[in-house]
Amino acid sequence: MNERATPGLTVRGSVDAIIPPLSVVVVLLLVWQGAVSLFAPSEFLVPAPLAVARAMWESRSALLAAAWMTGSSAAIGFLLAAFIGVTLGSLLAASRFLMRGLYPIATLLQMVPLVAIAPLLVVWCGYGVRTTIASAVIVSVFPVLAATLDGMRSTDPGLVELFAINRASRVQRWWKLELPWAIPSIVTGLRIAAGLSVIGAIVGEFVGAFAGDQSPVGILIVSAIRENRTDLVFAAVSVAALVGFALFGVVSLVGWILLRRWHASAG
Amino acid sequence: MNIDRRKLLIGFILVDAVVVSLILLYVLNRPKAGVANTASGERVRIQLNWVPEPEFGGFYAALQDGLYAQEGIDVEIIKGAAGTPAPQMASSGQVECAIASADQMLTLNEKGGDLTAVFSVFETSPMGIMVKADAPWTSLEELWKSEATVAVEAGLPYLKYLSKKIPDSKVRIVPTGAGLAGFERGAVQGQQCFVTAEPVQMELKKVPVRVFSLAASGYDPYAVLVVTKTSWLAEHREVAAKLVRALREGWTRYLADPAKYNVAISKLNPAMSVEAMNIAAEKQRELVAPTGAGARMIGSMTSERWTTLAAQLQELGTISKQPASIDAVFWNAPK
Repeated sequence: MNERATPGLTVRGSVDAIIPPLSVVVVLLLVWQGAVSLFAPSEFLVPAPLAVARAMWESRSALLAAAWMTGSSAAIGFLLAAFIGVTLGSLLAASRFLMRGLYPIATLLQMVPLVAIAPLLVVWCGYGVRTTIASAVIVSVFPVLAATLDGMRSTDPGLVELFAINRASRVQRWWKLELPWAIPSIVTGLRIAAGLSVIGAIVGEFVGAFAGDQSPVGILIVSAIRENRTDLVFAAVSVAALVGFALFGVVSLVGWILLRRWHASAG
Repeated sequence: MNIDRRKLLIGFILVDAVVVSLILLYVLNRPKAGVANTASGERVRIQLNWVPEPEFGGFYAALQDGLYAQEGIDVEIIKGAAGTPAPQMASSGQVECAIASADQMLTLNEKGGDLTAVFSVFETSPMGIMVKADAPWTSLEELWKSEATVAVEAGLPYLKYLSKKIPDSKVRIVPTGAGLAGFERGAVQGQQCFVTAEPVQMELKKVPVRVFSLAASGYDPYAVLVVTKTSWLAEHREVAAKLVRALREGWTRYLADPAKYNVAISKLNPAMSVEAMNIAAEKQRELVAPTGAGARMIGSMTSERWTTLAAQLQELGTISKQPASIDAVFWNAPK
C-alpha cells in the first residue's frame, strides 16, 4: 500500500480533468452536426445533435421522470449487487472449497445473456420495479464479486502471517486486513457495476415495466423506436448515460474518500 | 534464438493465412439468410418483419409454385424477427421491398422514409386484444376502463387511439416482451395479439380466449403491407407489377389450400407446428379476402382507407401533417 499525502480537490485539478473529455465531446458533436448538415440523411436514420437537444428540451419532463424511475431501480439494484458481491466474494475468498464450488456458477451470471432471461424475470418477479431491480442486480453483481475475491486473495502473505502470529480471529483478519486490502479492487468493481446496473435496469424495463403517463427510460426508448423518433431515442439514451455517469460519479467519490489517504489510485 | 523467432514468425503467418482463408471460404460460401427461387431475372429481396408464419403464406406459396420465376423475377424472402427494422431497411435501400403496417409507413415517411405500399395482405387489421374466455369484460371499452393489466407494445399508434377514444381509462400497460407466460398465469389479463398467432397458441394449449378486434373499434390500418422505396418503384414499375401479380396468385393459391404450403413454411419456422399454421390460416382467411369484398383484388388498397388512417394519425399527433398526395402513398398494380 502506498503512503502518500492527501490529494486535494483543487479548482485547477478539476478543470484539468474536465477540459480534455469536454473538448473531445464538443469536437465530436460539431463533426456530427456538420456531417448531418452536409449529407442530410433521413431524420429516422441519424438525427442531428441539435435535433436531439430539441427533443430533450421538448420532452424534458418525461425524460426527468424516466431518469428518476430508471435511476432509482438501478441504484437499488446496484446497492444490492454491492452487498451480495462483497459478501459472496468474502465468503469465497475465505474458503477454497466454496470458491471452487461457487465461483464457476457465479461466472455463469456473467455469461448468460440478460436479454434471454429477462422475460423469465417477469414470470418470477412480476411486472414492475422488482423485475427491473432483479435485472440490474444480475448484470452488476459479478464485477463486484470478482473484484472482491481478487482483492482479498491478493492480501500480502506477510501480513496474513503477522495476523496469525498475533492469534487474530478469522473475523478480525477479514475486517482489519483483507477487507481494507481489497477496497481499491472493490471500488474498481463497483465502478464497473455502476454503469452495468443502469443497463440491467433498462433491459428489465424493456420486458417488465409499467408504461403510462410517466414511463422509465426503457419504455421511452421502445416507444420512440416504434414512433420512428430517432431524436428521442438518442435523447433517452443520453439520459440513461447521464444516470450511469451519476452513479459512477458517486462511487468514484466514495472510493476517493475511502482511499485518498493511503492509496495511489485515489490520486 | 534468431532462427526460433523466424520459425515462430513463419508459423504465425501460416496460421494467419489458414485462418483468413477459412474465413474467406466461409464468407464466400455461407448459406443465404433468405429463401430464393432460382430464376435469373430482376432481383427483389423482401424483408419480413417477423418469422415465417401464415400471415406470409401467399409469399411462400408463390415461391413454392415458381410464380416469381414465371414472372421473370428473382425473389428472395428474408426472414425477420422481433424488432427487425424492415421498412427502415427498404427506405435505406438495403432491400427492395419490406413488410410494414400502414401506420408505420406513414409515420416513417414523415421522417424521410419515402416509401410506397404496393400490396396489402390484410384487408382488415388482424390486431386485437386477447382476454381469457371467462374474463368479465364484454368489449374493448370495458376492458380499457377496468384496472386490468394489459400487455401491448409501447409506442404503437392504436394505444393513443384507445386512450383518446376511452378517456377514463384505468388499464395498466406493460410490455409484451415476457411472452404469453404472464397471460397464461393471469399476471396480465389482456394481451395484444395477431388473431393468427397468440390466440392459436392458446387454443392449442386448451386455454379458451376471446379477441377484441381493433378494427372493430374503428382503428383499421392495412397490415402486412409490401412497401418499397418510392424512387425504386418509379424506376422498376414493371418489376413491381410482376411481383404483385405473383403475390396475388400466390395468395389465391394459399387461401385455397393453405395446408399444401404450410409444411414448407413450418420448416422455416420450427417453433410453429403445421397444425398451428393450419388453424391460423383459417382464422386469417376472412381478414385477407372478406366474403363481402366483391371484386376487390387481393392486395389492392383504396384512397378512402389511406385518407381515414392519415386523418386519424394526424389527430393523434403521430404525424404532424397529411401526406402531400394520398394517392402517392400506395400503388395498385394493374391486372
